[in-house]
Amino acid sequence: MTGQQFLQYIFSGITNGSIYALTALGFTLVYNATGIINFAQGELVMLGGLSAIGLYRAGLPLPLAFVGALIIVLIVAVMFEQLAIRPLMAKGVLAQVIATVGASLALRTAAMMIWGREALPLPPFSGDTPIRVLGASLTPQTLWVVGTTIVIVLALQFFYKRTLTGKAVRACAVNPLAARLMGVSYASVVLLSFAVSGVISAAGGAMVAPISFMSYSSGALLGLKGFAAATLGGLGNPLAAVFGGLTLGILEGLAVGLVSSGYKDAIAFVILLLVLFVRPQGLFGGRVVERE
Amino acid sequence: MNAFVDTPPSHDTVLRLRGLRAGYGAVEVLRDVDLDVAHGEIVTIIGVNGSGKSTLLKTISGVVKPWEGVIELKGENLVGLGVEQVVARGVVQVPEGRQLFGPLTVQENLELGSYSRRGKRGRPAADKMEEVFELFPRLQERRLQHAATLSGGEQQMLAVGRALMAEPRVLLLDEPSMGLAPLVVKEIFRTLRELNERGLTLLLVEQDARIALSLAHRGLVMERGRIVMEDGAASLLAADIQSIYFGHGGGRTDVTEDGHEKYPVVREGD
Repeated sequence: MTGQQFLQYIFSGITNGSIYALTALGFTLVYNATGIINFAQGELVMLGGLSAIGLYRAGLPLPLAFVGALIIVLIVAVMFEQLAIRPLMAKGVLAQVIATVGASLALRTAAMMIWGREALPLPPFSGDTPIRVLGASLTPQTLWVVGTTIVIVLALQFFYKRTLTGKAVRACAVNPLAARLMGVSYASVVLLSFAVSGVISAAGGAMVAPISFMSYSSGALLGLKGFAAATLGGLGNPLAAVFGGLTLGILEGLAVGLVSSGYKDAIAFVILLLVLFVRPQGLFGGRVVERE
Repeated sequence: MNAFVDTPPSHDTVLRLRGLRAGYGAVEVLRDVDLDVAHGEIVTIIGVNGSGKSTLLKTISGVVKPWEGVIELKGENLVGLGVEQVVARGVVQVPEGRQLFGPLTVQENLELGSYSRRGKRGRPAADKMEEVFELFPRLQERRLQHAATLSGGEQQMLAVGRALMAEPRVLLLDEPSMGLAPLVVKEIFRTLRELNERGLTLLLVEQDARIALSLAHRGLVMERGRIVMEDGAASLLAADIQSIYFGHGGGRTDVTEDGHEKYPVVREGD
């Protein structure tokens, strides 16, 4: 493998890794606020992609289709929380997790009925003339993906560290009862977490659609990889989730280059199993997020 | 010089409980509790583990829903309100075991204390924080440290400071002396008395009857979910506390080497 090829695989790894990072962020936000693993997270990514494609095909300009997709998934995520998660609040986390499995099946089926079974493309956001970097080629879409991911991560950091509402969300993750005693509405924090996690996932889905197509069943694999990335970083830590996503993407890219593209999807499974066997708290899980 | 309260001291009843019953599942913990707390008063409820003291505070705060009865703040009914609505009305609790946000900094913990005041008129949170720092200068030194790294005494100071950020009319304290060295307890109780002298109403539940009665104006003894005795703190202190505590239900009394009785130390069941 030459240096150029190596760089090429790294680029492709970072692109896919950014999408995994956004999906992993979605998992982490919901898990932090509620202790729930949202098995429908991948379906929200898929829905973001297919909604953008659907709106674009309906004649909307690409930027509007992108924003429209975020709004659609936002509405779906809020309805999901209101109809499936909130009524089960008293039944405990397990019942809620099972509800997310049900939601993932429902979303997948709905997507198949709306958009059919075929994988659909979306044009790249700003053309597809590659940029040459040190002999390797970088598509403009990669820059969109990486740039948007950076903006989202910075915005989340700002939200969690600098705003009172963000601090209230962190307080709820640590000690929901004490947060309520300070006047924080736990129900609102849960709703907010689902909403933000939905929008972030949708952004990932809409941005990856021009790179790898999107079909009703794409969510399962995206969800699994996002989950593997979140677990690798240590569930509950947003920055570690991003690191986990990028690591997974780059490892996949290198596996394609060094071994065979057939093994690409196996990497996530192997990482997931290794983490669960060897270091269940994740790479940065020294401090496990304490939940009541 | 009312730092944390907006009304002048008077003899009005601030908090009024009538016929309060509450529990968990089918287990009744509070049986017909009546209580009046006047403005500017320090009232303490003492009793052994599992007598229902913590449940009483949780019920007032709205964490536990009452089965029956009345909870009124200055005539306004609190029954049926959510926890966050009770806090917003000025009934603020310092929970048992501090319950700080450990991975957040001291300053962030204090900021969250003012969460219920956000968007409302009143003094800015920064001013209130300065006042908390005047009361507990050690918190200022450690404002950027994670709350989990503080000593037990500092954590209790932070828990009280965090509650003060909500501008309480009534401050509920659940076992503020628990797990702390006597000197630290003295320091914190001195601050509580100072706050009271500025007009803050306090209701504290304590297992350590001696220290609670040394602070309070009035004491009530709770046993198996009922108030079984009520008197001025001085007369309760003068009375044989052991017989107050164990005269009805019987209980275990350990005697330390120097001959002083100490109360059974078991984790509270509720």
